[in-house]
Order: sequence, then C-alpha cells, then structure tokens
Amino acid sequence: MTLLQALRDFAREALIGLLRSLRVSALAVVTIGVSLFLAGAFYLVSRNLENTVRRWRDEARFVVYVEPATSAARLEELARRVRAVPWISEVTIVSREEAERRFERSFPSLSDLVRGTSAALPASLEARLRPLAEGQQEPFRAWVRELLQIEGVELVDDDRDWIGQIETVAAVVRALGLVLTAILIAASVFTIASVVRLTSYLYRDEIAVMRLVGATEFYIRGPFYFEGLFQGLLGALVALGGLSAAHFAVRPQLEASLVAGALAERFLSPSEMVGLLGLGALAGLVGAVLSLGREQVASERS
Amino acid sequence: MIQLFHVSKRFPTGQVALEDVTFHVDKGQFCFLTGSSGAGKTTLLRLIFREEVPSEGQILVNGRNVAAIPKSKIPFLRRTIGVVFQDFRLIERKTVFENVAYLPRILGLDGGRQKRMAFEALRRVGLAHRLAAFPRQLSGGEQQRVAIARALIAEPEILIADEPTGNLDPELSREIVSLFVDINRRGTTVIYATHDHATIRRIGKRVLTLSQGRLVDDRTLEPGEPAPPEPSGAAE
Repeated sequence: MTLLQALRDFAREALIGLLRSLRVSALAVVTIGVSLFLAGAFYLVSRNLENTVRRWRDEARFVVYVEPATSAARLEELARRVRAVPWISEVTIVSREEAERRFERSFPSLSDLVRGTSAALPASLEARLRPLAEGQQEPFRAWVRELLQIEGVELVDDDRDWIGQIETVAAVVRALGLVLTAILIAASVFTIASVVRLTSYLYRDEIAVMRLVGATEFYIRGPFYFEGLFQGLLGALVALGGLSAAHFAVRPQLEASLVAGALAERFLSPSEMVGLLGLGALAGLVGAVLSLGREQVASERS
Repeated sequence: MIQLFHVSKRFPTGQVALEDVTFHVDKGQFCFLTGSSGAGKTTLLRLIFREEVPSEGQILVNGRNVAAIPKSKIPFLRRTIGVVFQDFRLIERKTVFENVAYLPRILGLDGGRQKRMAFEALRRVGLAHRLAAFPRQLSGGEQQRVAIARALIAEPEILIADEPTGNLDPELSREIVSLFVDINRRGTTVIYATHDHATIRRIGKRVLTLSQGRLVDDRTLEPGEPAPPEPSGAAE
C-alpha cells in the first residue's frame, strides 16, 4: 500500500468516525474553537496594541518648555544645546505666539482664555528623538536632569514616559494571553484526546478484526490521528470565523475611540490565519497521539 | 509447519494455562484440538497467531520462532494465518464484502482486485450471492461462512478455528465442518479446536487432547472411530 493510498483511507475512515460520533466530535470542535477564538482574540489585541504603541513611539516628541521671560536669543541658544546631543534628531522652536495659534486651532471655543495673556502658554522647543540604543537610557536621563538645571528651562515633557507605561500594559496583556492560550490549548488537546479514545473504543471490534487479519499499528492508528487532526482543523475554522465576525462587527463601533480603534485596527494576515489553522490541526494531532499512546489501540483486553 | 517445544503459559494472575506442551503439525494436516472448557485450547491457538507469548518454550510457525518476532512484524505473520472464532467477529455496520475484504484493503489492492478476491473467497464458502448483505441479514451458519471467507481471502497456509460451530445447531455445524475439511483437502493446514466429540468421531483425523493445560493424548482416528475419552478435572 502506498502512503498516498493509506492517507486517503485514513481520511475517509476518520470522516466516517467523526460522523459516527457526531455529538462528541462536535463538542471537541467547539472546545478547540472557543479556545482558539480566545487565544486569537488575545493575540489580535496584543499585536494591534504593540503596533499602535510602536507608531506612537516613532512619533514621540520631546518638549522643553521655557520660562515666560526667556528671550528669543536665549531660546535659540537652548535649541543649539539641545540639537547638539546625539539623541535628538531635529529641534523646532515654538514661540509663545505659535503656541497660542495652535491652542486656538485645537480648542476654538476656549481661545478667550489665552488671548492677550502673555504668560498663559510658554514658548518651547519641540524635539524629535532618535531610538535609544542599548545602555543609553541612563545617560539620556542624566542629560534630561542636567537640562532641567539650565537657567530658563521650566519643564521637560518626554512622550516616551507614558508610552513606556502603555508598553508595560501591552507586555502584561501579551503574557496573560500566552498563559491563557497555553491553558486553553491544553484543555482542547485533552478534550480531543478523550474524544479520540472514545471513538477508538467504539471501533474496538473492528480494530480487533483488523489486527487479526494483519493490519499494522500504523494502519490502525492512522484514521484516529486524522480524526484528531480534522477536529483541530474544524475547531480552528470555527475560531477563525468567530474572530472574523467579531472583528468586523466591533470595528466600526470602536473607531470613535482612538485607543479602542487601535485595538481593532488590523485583522489577521493570511499567514497568521494559516498559522491558526495549523495550530488547531497540531493540537488535534497531539491530542490523538496522546490518547492512543504507545499501547495497542483499543486492545481486546483493555 | 507448526512446532511447539515444551511450551508453557502462565498468566500474571498465577493461572497456568499451558504446561510443557510439545507437538508438531505437518503441512496440509487437519488437526482437532480438544479438551474440556479451560483446558487451554484457546490459549494454545492464541500463541500460534501471536496474540499471546509463551512463558517458556518455543513455537515455530514455518520455521520462525513466533515469540521472537518483533511487534512490528506480527501483522505479516497474521497475514499467513486465517483465524475463525465461535462468535464470528463480523462488523455489523459493514457489508459482507467489506467484512471479507479487510486484508486486500489493508494491502492497498485496488477496488477491482478487492472485489475479485472477496468474490472468490465467498464463492468457496457458497455465499458469493450475498456480497451486499449485512451480517444481521444472514443466518448464524452464513455468518460463520463469511468469517471463514474472511480468513481464506489471502489463501493462508494455516487456518485456525476456535470452536467455530459452538453457536450453531447440529445441521449447520455439519456444513461448517465439511467446509473446513474441504479447505484442508486443497492443502491448507487446519487446526480446529472443539469439544464436540460427535464431530471428531464423524470426521476422524488427528486429535490432540488437552487437560488442565497439558497435552494428554495425541492420536489419529479413522472416521467413525470413537474420540478419546474426556479427561476429568478441568482447570476452570
């Protein structure tokens, strides 16, 4: 018998087995479907959050606010000093007038608050930061502390401070997702293992006959491996369908919110979908292999 | 063909099923294996097709020590031995053809070849017209003939039968026994376990008698000659 013939036989027998124990097979498919759905949802949220945070980090600004009385010449000198350090790629001087104009553009109904009050909005230096290399965090912080000591510098605002906090949250979400995924996949593998063992028990009479007439263990186990694989694959398809429906149903409602919208920004790529299907199939196969173990399948004396 | 040398079988429970059994069965021989229930007939047959391994001694089938065959090679031994049981062991949800064609399917033969082989095996047992029937649609005798066809499909060198007529009425039993005799005439070695002395007396042939796991008698009878007396004191 060629391998191709054997695989075709296994697939056919596995499908018959799935139909024969339809209810328990459906239970296994739903279990792995729910598990992979939750795992996929965590993955999507975590990955979209990471992408958003990365984009924010790329756009992060470093702003040096100066005291209201600082002259234009002093502001120029400060800009030169800031520009001279290796972590800064570009510096823009924002005068008090420019700061007022921006405020009025952003909050037209509140423009009366700042109009004519010379000290309401200070001038500032807006800098773009280069990505910090390994070991550069501490020297950078030391430089910021020095900067705050310079006469005329009132406040330093580094976007990366809050972006770092969000990154910590993203890392926690990712870790939680990984732990939850591992637990759920293990539960799915266990469910599939139980279902495959049950099916092998249902087929014990046929297995005994096959063994009697000279079927190899590979030939006897093959259909059960395929059954597990099919259950896992079907579960992954259920999960993929659920994720797709949830993503496209929720996305329009989340777009109103910057953060929530970011979480639903992008769906799984084709390769990630294939990965999810592969994970389901693998979980099913592992469940089947574990359920049958090294002992003879559904031995007459078992 | 089949040689047993000082074979003993003890189960982990401590029960002794066979004790120091030695005999040879030549190629093409028909051999009854008799003895009361629990005498060790079934265990002996299971040892021959490697369903069990002996605790002591050697069993050679076609010169190969079956106890030493690696697990992965056992299926190849079984393809040369047909086995028939009292309870037929047919799969109810499969047709007669599917029940008979297990081995050609396992061997990966094409559908046409499977059908030809199944048809030929069923023709030998007189059931070629019931290919599409399910076991429940057949009488007990017909079901046993399907089981025999399954055992014969690859034309095995050895046919082992464990009380094949135990569930059948006397008339059907006669038919089945005649079938085994006919199969043996064509060259297949047959080992037929039974405690039906009437059958043994009618057919004659070689008779091996087991009692409490020991081979207590080995003789060849002519048809009509009385079977050896039933030894007293069965193990179970």
